[in-house]
Amino acid sequence: MECVPPCSDRPGFGEETPGVPLSSGPPTPLRAQTFSSFSPSKSYSRQSSSSDTELSLTPKTGMGSGGSAGKEAGPLKVFLRQQTQSALEQREYPFFTLTAFPPGFLLHVGGVVSARSVKLLDRIHNPALGNNTRSYKLLDWNSFTADEPETRDAWWEEIRQEIKSHAKALGCHAVVGYSESTSICEEVCILSASGTAAILSSRFMQDGPLDVEHRFEEVVSPGCGFCHIPYDELNIPFPAQLTYCYCCRRYKVPDVLFTTIDLPTEANVTGKGCLIQARLCRTKKKAQGEGNATAISNLLPFLEYELHTQLMNKLKLRGMNALFGLRIQISVGETMLLGLASATGVYLTALPSPGGIQITGKTPSDITYEQHISNMQKKINDTITKNKELYEINPPEVVEEIIGSPIPEPRQRSRLFRSHSESSDEVSELDLSHGKKDAFVLEIDDTDAVEDIHALLTDFSIPAGFYSCNTEIMPGIQNWTSAIQMFTSVRVFRLNTNLTNQGLNKIFSDLCENLLKSLYFKLRSMVPCCLCHLNFTVAIPEDELIQVAVTAVAMSFDKEQTLENGKQSGEKTLIKAITDEQLQFSLELNAETSSPNPLSSPKGLSDVGSHPSARASSVDYSSFADRCSSWIEQLKLKAHTIRRGSVKTTSSMEKASPLPEGRSRSLRSNRSYSGSSVAVVKMTPLSFIPGAKIIKYLGIINMFFIRETTSLREEGGVSGFLHTFIAEVFAMVRAHVAALGGNAVVSYSMKECVFMENPNKNQAQCLINVSGDAVIFVRESELELTSVQPQSATTQTSNGGEGT
Amino acid sequence: MSTELDVFVGNTTVLDEDVYQLWLDGHTVSDAVRIRMEAGALQECEANAEILHSDTMDQFRTFQMCERLLQSPSKVANQLLFQIPPHHQTMLIERYYEFDSVFAREVLGKKLSKGTKKDLDDISSKTGIALKCCRRQFDNFKHVFKVVEELKGPLVENIQRHFLLSDVLARDYAAIVFFANSRFETGKRKLQYLSFQDFAFCAGQLISYWTVGAVDNMMEDLNVDLEKEFLHDLKDLKVLVNDKDMLDQHKSLVCAQLRGKIKVFSEMEASFKNLSRALVNIASKLTHTKDFRDLFIDLVEKFVEPCRSDKWTIGDLRLFLKHYSSSVRMLEAFRHQVIWDRYMGVIQSCILKMYHD
Repeated sequence: MECVPPCSDRPGFGEETPGVPLSSGPPTPLRAQTFSSFSPSKSYSRQSSSSDTELSLTPKTGMGSGGSAGKEAGPLKVFLRQQTQSALEQREYPFFTLTAFPPGFLLHVGGVVSARSVKLLDRIHNPALGNNTRSYKLLDWNSFTADEPETRDAWWEEIRQEIKSHAKALGCHAVVGYSESTSICEEVCILSASGTAAILSSRFMQDGPLDVEHRFEEVVSPGCGFCHIPYDELNIPFPAQLTYCYCCRRYKVPDVLFTTIDLPTEANVTGKGCLIQARLCRTKKKAQGEGNATAISNLLPFLEYELHTQLMNKLKLRGMNALFGLRIQISVGETMLLGLASATGVYLTALPSPGGIQITGKTPSDITYEQHISNMQKKINDTITKNKELYEINPPEVVEEIIGSPIPEPRQRSRLFRSHSESSDEVSELDLSHGKKDAFVLEIDDTDAVEDIHALLTDFSIPAGFYSCNTEIMPGIQNWTSAIQMFTSVRVFRLNTNLTNQGLNKIFSDLCENLLKSLYFKLRSMVPCCLCHLNFTVAIPEDELIQVAVTAVAMSFDKEQTLENGKQSGEKTLIKAITDEQLQFSLELNAETSSPNPLSSPKGLSDVGSHPSARASSVDYSSFADRCSSWIEQLKLKAHTIRRGSVKTTSSMEKASPLPEGRSRSLRSNRSYSGSSVAVVKMTPLSFIPGAKIIKYLGIINMFFIRETTSLREEGGVSGFLHTFIAEVFAMVRAHVAALGGNAVVSYSMKECVFMENPNKNQAQCLINVSGDAVIFVRESELELTSVQPQSATTQTSNGGEGT
Repeated sequence: MSTELDVFVGNTTVLDEDVYQLWLDGHTVSDAVRIRMEAGALQECEANAEILHSDTMDQFRTFQMCERLLQSPSKVANQLLFQIPPHHQTMLIERYYEFDSVFAREVLGKKLSKGTKKDLDDISSKTGIALKCCRRQFDNFKHVFKVVEELKGPLVENIQRHFLLSDVLARDYAAIVFFANSRFETGKRKLQYLSFQDFAFCAGQLISYWTVGAVDNMMEDLNVDLEKEFLHDLKDLKVLVNDKDMLDQHKSLVCAQLRGKIKVFSEMEASFKNLSRALVNIASKLTHTKDFRDLFIDLVEKFVEPCRSDKWTIGDLRLFLKHYSSSVRMLEAFRHQVIWDRYMGVIQSCILKMYHD
């Protein structure tokens, strides 16, 4: 549903200021000029309040590239890039929506690049719809005029170009983990795109038939390669603190790395990771049309900057130095803007240890205030120590002095300022040489900041036995048990009117925190467990309403072996994952519908991936045969066996058979048992099922449901209505998968959950869009059983298949 | 400021057994939250009252949605809406059909009709069981009764098959169905000391030995009606008390066996004829519906109470009944040995079960 609702013939708002895309990519004041077309005085005043040092600090996270598009990187990197350029240059946008890659694919990761744009959707002049602004939003989807798709394409074009140039500025030729989203309120639409700038391995970019196994063989991936900076250190697009890699000591690494992708499997990680969220709510005056768009545009950079600040602070508070799976959502409502950034923080061994957080006061004369500050400082230090223990972060101590940098960098302090700060000049007078490590300075200059820091500290700690992340898996946890529990939780919170920004912030933050706490409590029976792929979606369905929806999977793991297994089993999982992918297209189907060149698809966005699985899946999904139930597949395979003869097919049967011995047996026994004909279907937002092997992909599931009630009270109110609906959605997805012969859904996601109510009329409506891949999996234990006697197993399998 | 909507749905339905029990017991959400807090739920997982409330609401809603399915348990395994692991399914069903024996005792022998349903208020206040909970239990009784009423075959097995209950619970339900069907008098003050379990045991005995199903388990309809022919034959036992010689002979045989073995020998000797007459009279009158319904009250009034007033111990009683029933075999003129054994077997164990304070 990434479409943009139509506007009238008038050009979009952004187009009235050509050449100034309304992006706010990095949260840096440098970009403030972008917004000058709306409110020059405001943005410049902000910039003028910033000292040089301040400017130099914000983008060093690599989040966003600054506006220095097209700046050429050093010769070394150019050489590296040229290798893959030929393949990538064919693409209009070298963007990959994938977030996980085979080892060695990512050579370097530059950092997060993002772009945003505020557009005005012109209202359809339809008097019937004029009164009800809410329904208009839904209804006018049908009233496209011919030129509108082009208009929207142009909007996205702008944004993609900007992303591309950001990536270039970071010395990267590709963007991975790329995603686009929109948030619409009335006539205003915020288009957002973000991804991770990266340099990819040329080996994977060659055209021609994909010889997957061969390519994986030659991969030798050190666990730190992707952390090494892709840009030229002498000509850095933004000031950053570089050090030699803590793993190989040969290449430079940044001190913090933000990415939108999953943690690469080969990455060296110290300790465990955790979910880090930055939440922000900003009030906004009610306005119409251009005025509204301007107001939003003016707020956006501050919003992003604050989110970024929060992320940085929370990351440091946990003693970590990298974020993966970063997803920033900005939602726009009539009277407020909502920002939610979620990511998984980890400690990358290759990156330097983060410094502490240092608080400085604005008015040092006041003794009680000083006292208060030092108390807080102590609390912060304690929290960092506690968190390091909690997440098992004990990196080997490194003597920093021996690391010489070609550029004699001044011992800069990384400083973080409140965006409202108007007194940053004073800061330079303070003595900041506290400790040996570079500290992160928080200046308290107003009550907001006090509250913020307080909030920072009161972020509740995760209950014992739980871990959480928004990526596929948690580093440091490998031995999953087969117990998984996918769930969706939705909350809608009604706000009071006349709330201040702080009050609003607190409410929003508490809402998210409480939701998380609730999840932990609900799933306490699964401890020790990890909530993986925690996917928060926020929306402002109405004025004064905030809706938060979470879909995630809780997976239990064995505590005892966690420490021992460590890296090794990680490698194993990886290999397994690869074989799984192979199976996805090793069937005969591939020959029937071979696509000549994965990179030749005309439009750039959804097919940008040239990674095998992306292609294969698109082939699979369109294939008619795959929509048939598994027993037809069986017959086909049998026919092939007859035609081709034994040896090779026997092995392929083993791999491809949807019903190996173990499973068919269990199916049969199920059936005979007291009439229970309902097959268990597992669901997970992840791409794999722990302890199981996916033997067949049955195709994509993409379902839309709309439910309406005119007897809301009788159905248990809004909660009862939605509870039933979501349960039914799950049931329908399961039934659908079962009907296809599958026993699980992987990569499940709830893409849309639009809920509207009118309690006075006793009515409510809800639209839900879910998607995922239907698969057949076999437990690894069963697989081992069958592989002991492959011959007999195969025969039995086909018999079993016929029987079903 | 308030939470407008709050739901949590798992692919596998998340169930908390303790909360389920609270729901079954008919507590309101706020009551349940209070009870959980008192039970120390806050110590778990750094919970607070808000979380507990949200969790309880969710669970209660889930149970409410499941209730429809639980009313016909065979559907639980076949429905698609909730993915519930088998052990949880069993737990849900078993707990849903469990009942308070205090409540069951009140309803026992009453007609499972609307009229009785109106009395639930009184029963609720008398037993201290929440009205909601009483309703559920009563509806379960009625429902089970209705379903098995029209089924052939053994009652307990039918209940087990249709409601997927454990053996113990199915037997209890069989007793309830049996009592509701036969409408035994259980409410008299003199019977108040008897618990549900006492009656359930007696019902089990009656079902096993006296009903139609006990003889032929392929009969049509509910086979918990007592076998008419047998009841008719019981009239023949009258000879034991009507024939003076036989009565005397019987008495002397029993006395000979028990002399020195029981403490209450003289009392037994004195009351033998009365006791024997009581038992035989009860037997001979069972064909009349009215007398049949009074089976238990008769047993208590005419047999249990006299013995109790003479301070018989349970051991004494057991010995007496054993010899009382076996001595008949030595009466040469008596020809209804089979009927007698069938009658006395059940009566003997019922009396022993009922003989307590």
